[in-house]
Amino acid sequence: MLLKRYIPIAIVAFFGALTLSAWFIDNETIETFANDDATQFFDIIAAFAVFLGALNLLKLQFIKVLKQQSGWIYSAIAIASFFFAFIIGFFIRGAYFVGEDVYFSQKAAEAAILGSGSSEVVVPVDWGAHVQTDGSLFQWMFKYIFSPLSATMFALLAFFVASASFRAFRARNFEASLLLVAGIIIMLGRVPIGSLISSWTIMYILAFSIGIGINSYVKNRNVMFGWILGSCGAITGFGMTMGWPIDQPAIFFLPALQEWIYLVPNLAGSRAILIGIGLGIVATSLRYIFGLEKSYLGE
Amino acid sequence: MNNKFTVYALGIVGIVLLTLALSVMPDSLNFFREDKSAMFVFTLIVIMIMLYEVKLAKNSSEPIFLRTIPGLKAVEEAVGRSTEMGRPILYVPGIMDMNEVETVAGVVVLGHVANMTAQYETELDVPVARAIVMQSARQVTKEAYLTQGRPEMFNEDMVHYITDDQFAYAAAVNGIMQRDEPAACLYMGKFFAESLLFAETGNSIGAIQIAGTGSQTQIPFFVTACDYTLMGEEFFAASAYLSKQPELIAGITAQDIIKIILVGFILLLIVSRAFFDLGVTEFNLVTWLGL
Amino acid sequence: MKFLEDIILKLGAVDRRVIFVLIGLAVLIPLLTPISLPVRETPTTVKFYDGIEDIPKNSKVLVSFDYGPSTRPEIHPMNVGVLRHMLRNGHQIYISCLWPDGIYMALDALEEITDEVNPDNESTFDIKEYEDYILLGYRPGAEAVIKGLASDLRKVYTVDANGNFIDDIEMMDGIKNLNDFAYIYSGSAGYPGTFEWVKYGGDPTGVPMSSGTTSVQVNEVIPYVQTGQLIGLLAGMPGAAEYEKLINVPGIAIQGMAAQSFAHIVIVLFIVFGNLAFFIKQRRDRKY
Repeated sequence: MLLKRYIPIAIVAFFGALTLSAWFIDNETIETFANDDATQFFDIIAAFAVFLGALNLLKLQFIKVLKQQSGWIYSAIAIASFFFAFIIGFFIRGAYFVGEDVYFSQKAAEAAILGSGSSEVVVPVDWGAHVQTDGSLFQWMFKYIFSPLSATMFALLAFFVASASFRAFRARNFEASLLLVAGIIIMLGRVPIGSLISSWTIMYILAFSIGIGINSYVKNRNVMFGWILGSCGAITGFGMTMGWPIDQPAIFFLPALQEWIYLVPNLAGSRAILIGIGLGIVATSLRYIFGLEKSYLGE
Repeated sequence: MNNKFTVYALGIVGIVLLTLALSVMPDSLNFFREDKSAMFVFTLIVIMIMLYEVKLAKNSSEPIFLRTIPGLKAVEEAVGRSTEMGRPILYVPGIMDMNEVETVAGVVVLGHVANMTAQYETELDVPVARAIVMQSARQVTKEAYLTQGRPEMFNEDMVHYITDDQFAYAAAVNGIMQRDEPAACLYMGKFFAESLLFAETGNSIGAIQIAGTGSQTQIPFFVTACDYTLMGEEFFAASAYLSKQPELIAGITAQDIIKIILVGFILLLIVSRAFFDLGVTEFNLVTWLGL
Repeated sequence: MKFLEDIILKLGAVDRRVIFVLIGLAVLIPLLTPISLPVRETPTTVKFYDGIEDIPKNSKVLVSFDYGPSTRPEIHPMNVGVLRHMLRNGHQIYISCLWPDGIYMALDALEEITDEVNPDNESTFDIKEYEDYILLGYRPGAEAVIKGLASDLRKVYTVDANGNFIDDIEMMDGIKNLNDFAYIYSGSAGYPGTFEWVKYGGDPTGVPMSSGTTSVQVNEVIPYVQTGQLIGLLAGMPGAAEYEKLINVPGIAIQGMAAQSFAHIVIVLFIVFGNLAFFIKQRRDRKY
């Protein structure tokens, strides 16, 4: 009980309070501890813990391969990739320079010297620098395997955003409709094509949309046609007077409108959420420091 | 009630006086950073309110009202659904390390979920992106199974490490979803761009999905693609909500009181700033407080 | 009318794989056959540009590469643009990386600019390592690195990315911590990045700073622009395109704008069809 409960709680309380007080106490030792040492301690622990993680990963993948469980072929690829990256990172320099030219192995570099008959010598890349030297095996892996794979995963977002918004953006009620309209304005206003849509087009669309709204509620064709004729006539009249400038009136110009949505209602909402999150973090941290919350110890 | 606010009012006065006293101490004894006075006062007020609310909750026999959070209510439903379907539950505690409060909150909620899976005898799968999180999550899960008297059901590989790399982890978790088709996917922790990759894949396999995060930028993605989302504060309140312990719920009451104080303070700053800008007064509270 | 409604209903219930194919085409076609669209500068980008213009000429500036290959299409054009802009104004650039892959991004960006030194490309500047720029490299520790840079840079970096001792490099003379830089810029794709630079770099030292972020992050970072903690912001690929226009070097971001525009239009069209189908279905359900 003492080892598993009280000592961990005491450690959390002590270091939590110390780190918090470092913000207010003008003492170099405490400040250095909180700002540099503590975070570095954590990084060191995390770095060593990676071994535990790697062993766990290998163990589970090996079991999958040995038992030929479903998808075991992916586990085999994971194991092979693990050892490939490990070996080329720790045991193979993978870059030997002969003048400006770079070769994968010492032998290839020597053969090149013999072939050309030059008097140059083979200069292997330094350990450590080999992971970032252009032409090295590690760099090759980064450029041609890791980068495209990462980029592919990130690019999937474009497709998923499309399918998620298609499914979720439905004008079910007033709030959802507001979200839908704001979403469309942002999507079109953020990209250049939005600036090709004239304010006047938006005004006409708005006039027609209001007309549909009137028809749905009043259910009187005369009123609806009256509105559409009146509003469209007014818009046309204003347009002809003003010379149809694409970005005037600015309130109906998509890029300007999206900028306003972004910087005013969106920012206000963001700040409210941010304050809430901040308070949540403060309250949660204090619960740990004061030992009120012990469930992270499994209690 | 009146007594409570008298305590707070007196407490705030005391804290301000203490801060003033610390600020005027002679240089040889001065260890206090005056430029952080406003923050110091705020921190002490938060601590005072929180501890007092906890004390009141401990001494009171009346339960504290906590509004229903649909997302948390749905956790039990999700576990039940998985049990009925005989499929596992996938729990993702975010992609960051234990130095993030959100990860800690995610691991804490995992403890509650593990209690339920132990009770219902449902399979639990927790892939993690950080080795330290793996250790903590294992400990919490193990304790939950022990508490429920089901140690034989606990297998330490139910919490397993994948990789630290964000998108490699996302790919692996998506693979697990496609292969194992969990009936429920819970995402509780700190997330970045991988959030939508998880949520959309989870949606495509028809899993019930509950997300909880304080990552502001990812909340819209989770709201769009998941069945329930715990936004910011709700997520941090999850542990108190699930544990039903009065002293933890009191922490949430304290949070609400602080929020009211903050709103009042913000309004005060706005008025002060407006008067300053309009030239009514030369005193600007914002600059005076060093904010 | 019923026929049209049926078509809309079908479009409203389309399989997500069809959406994927159309999005793929909407992105691919404009990339293969470039279409020029007008780019309009937004105030946050103009502020960003002006912020860099306002740095006194020939200053020392810190540029941080805090992203990896996944977000390269969004952030890389910004960083290349920032390097061009700063070099054009004669600044000396000190490059740090908070992400392990950041160093590869920095190397690529420098290579891209160095290629422009080729006289055939009518380059306007000729850059040399240890004179115009220094690649300090990656250090693990996220915010701890920034805190370290703010207090003592030489504790964090004893050697640069090439393994040369910092104390032996002439360009490092007079650089003790962040206060010795005239400006900080972070091209950031998440954690660690803009947030951490503002909290532990820009704010405590008072050194002016700005950032370029992915579109998704903008929402979170934009409050800092309003408070002045960031001098402008490059917001996602549109921000990068606007910046390319401002520095008058059209690049990949401007090219990407057509692809992004068409992809957005496809999404909007699907949302519209989805809603029309929703209304038609609701009306039909009411009838029966």
